[in-house]
Amino acid sequence: MSRFIQIHLLTAYPPANLNRDDQGRPKTAKMGGVDRLRVSSQSLKRHWRTSELFGQAVSGHLGTRTKRLGLGIYDRLTEAGIKDKNALTWAATIAGEFGKNKKADKNDPLNELEIEQLVHIGPDEQAQIDQLVATLIEEQRAPEKGELDLLRETTSAVDIALFGRMLASKPAYNIEAACQVAHAISVHPVVIEDDYFTAVDDLNDGREDAGSSHIGETGFAAGLFYSYLCINREQLIENLNGDAALANRAIAALIETAIKVPPSGKQNSFAHQGYASYVLAEAGNQQPRSLSVSFLKPVEVRGLIDKDYLTQAVDAIRQQYQGFDQVYGPCADRRYEICVGERLGAMGELLDFVGGAE
Amino acid sequence: MDYLLFRLYGPLASWGNIAIGESRHSFHGPTKSAVMGLVAAALGIRREEESQHLRLNREYHMASALFSQGSLLRDYHTVQAPDTVGKFTYRSRRDELVIGKDRLGTVLSSREYRSDALAWVALRAEDGVPYTLEQIADGLRTPIFTLYLGRKSCPLAAPLDPQLVVADGFAEAFKKYQPRGISPVLERQSERFERDVLCRDQSVEYCWEGNVEDFGSEGRLDKSQLLSETQHDRLNSRRRWQYAPRQIYHYRTKEGV
Repeated sequence: MSRFIQIHLLTAYPPANLNRDDQGRPKTAKMGGVDRLRVSSQSLKRHWRTSELFGQAVSGHLGTRTKRLGLGIYDRLTEAGIKDKNALTWAATIAGEFGKNKKADKNDPLNELEIEQLVHIGPDEQAQIDQLVATLIEEQRAPEKGELDLLRETTSAVDIALFGRMLASKPAYNIEAACQVAHAISVHPVVIEDDYFTAVDDLNDGREDAGSSHIGETGFAAGLFYSYLCINREQLIENLNGDAALANRAIAALIETAIKVPPSGKQNSFAHQGYASYVLAEAGNQQPRSLSVSFLKPVEVRGLIDKDYLTQAVDAIRQQYQGFDQVYGPCADRRYEICVGERLGAMGELLDFVGGAE
Repeated sequence: MDYLLFRLYGPLASWGNIAIGESRHSFHGPTKSAVMGLVAAALGIRREEESQHLRLNREYHMASALFSQGSLLRDYHTVQAPDTVGKFTYRSRRDELVIGKDRLGTVLSSREYRSDALAWVALRAEDGVPYTLEQIADGLRTPIFTLYLGRKSCPLAAPLDPQLVVADGFAEAFKKYQPRGISPVLERQSERFERDVLCRDQSVEYCWEGNVEDFGSEGRLDKSQLLSETQHDRLNSRRRWQYAPRQIYHYRTKEGV
């Protein structure tokens, strides 16, 4: 089995302000002695794990998203001979732990059992609910406060398993992140530009003052980013209580998200959407290393008019990993590439490669 | 005496200094706790294996050669998190943001990084150590846990290229270490790409613990360039994050030793 799965991405964004510093300007870093555009790893991870795509990709294999949790509990209680009124109250109480109960409705007594929003129930939580319901049936009593608190204190959520959890006050519950994410860095030098903008008052008819009613400045820059992530598959499986199938789902979900989901900073002002144009996946037990050194010398168009930044960047990555392999011996056992410009590779095959990297 | 040498290179590194409150500072070069943490990760030693970490920190002695301390990068960082309500525990980050939506607040922190940093590390082992230097070298080639330069978001960007050498003192060990290039392709174009791009002033700063003599080339050291300093990175307890002071020598030179 391959312990490490490394993903290298090249993603281009048009003028945007993806990730801001305390001045509101795009974040930067020096690499190879010149300024680059940067998106911090923290920012990337947050947008990935809170994205719709990631949530949906793991939900089917994590548990169930439902508003109807209480209805199932009610059915089990009444089937076991619990009085209708008790069953209704107990089920509503348990469901209420997972979300706000819907308003009571005289015409539809079961309405209260539903909750307002979809809630995502993990398999381990469902098991705890089932056990609590069984206990209530056996002991013919209402759930007690302490029993309800237990419901959310379970681990093995995919996002925790991938990105870790640190609780300074309860270190026993710490979980080591199985996924390492580097700050994304532009492959070329950047100069942050300022967008001087004005906002005009629609109702100003210009009789007294024809000027704008607000002026401001926003920093922005366009960039082709190199990003890198490394997943320790063994650790992920361990974090997920040995569930290798779920680990594979999580890996595929994360990688698809990393390819498709942009940081959302100032998304409505710049509409920067973009899928990665190049993806290299590597699997093996060898010491992981990013390929950022491909861009230590920034890509340039000067003298290479027939090649754009992207083509040069892809060339640089390929030369770099081949160079590493030649000098240090193979740095991965297997590789899979997607290159949009060359119509090479396919998303489905990539996800099979990383998801089933036995 | 046997020495194990390896190289630390990545576009970003962060060598944790004493951090109180919202500012997380970085040393200018690799700390012993960070390096031994990396070695422990390579060997598959878990964070809670306290005694193993203490042995690694006490029974191996470290020196570093800093070719480029990199430029200082201050990263402004915000964390959105809900405050705690009674005994309720959020099950995941997603829960914090979805269920705790009404209670979300922002925590500010500022983290320091070093960009374009390049260092070599030399380790010397005492007798009866739990892992031989060969075993550590193997671990670095095929690590059990993910390796990083002080922070998880700072991956290695080149093979560590661990090599064992026999030398009389750290200085000679560094001289014998012959790491292969980090930019094999580009190096054909320029003789020493790393030196040209990363180590512009062509000077090296050596740091080591122990005595001046441990460095080994005492006769040739320009004493006016020798500095002794106390650094709080000798591990006392991994679990409680306690570090004790450690005496460090710094020697900066243009020529190399």
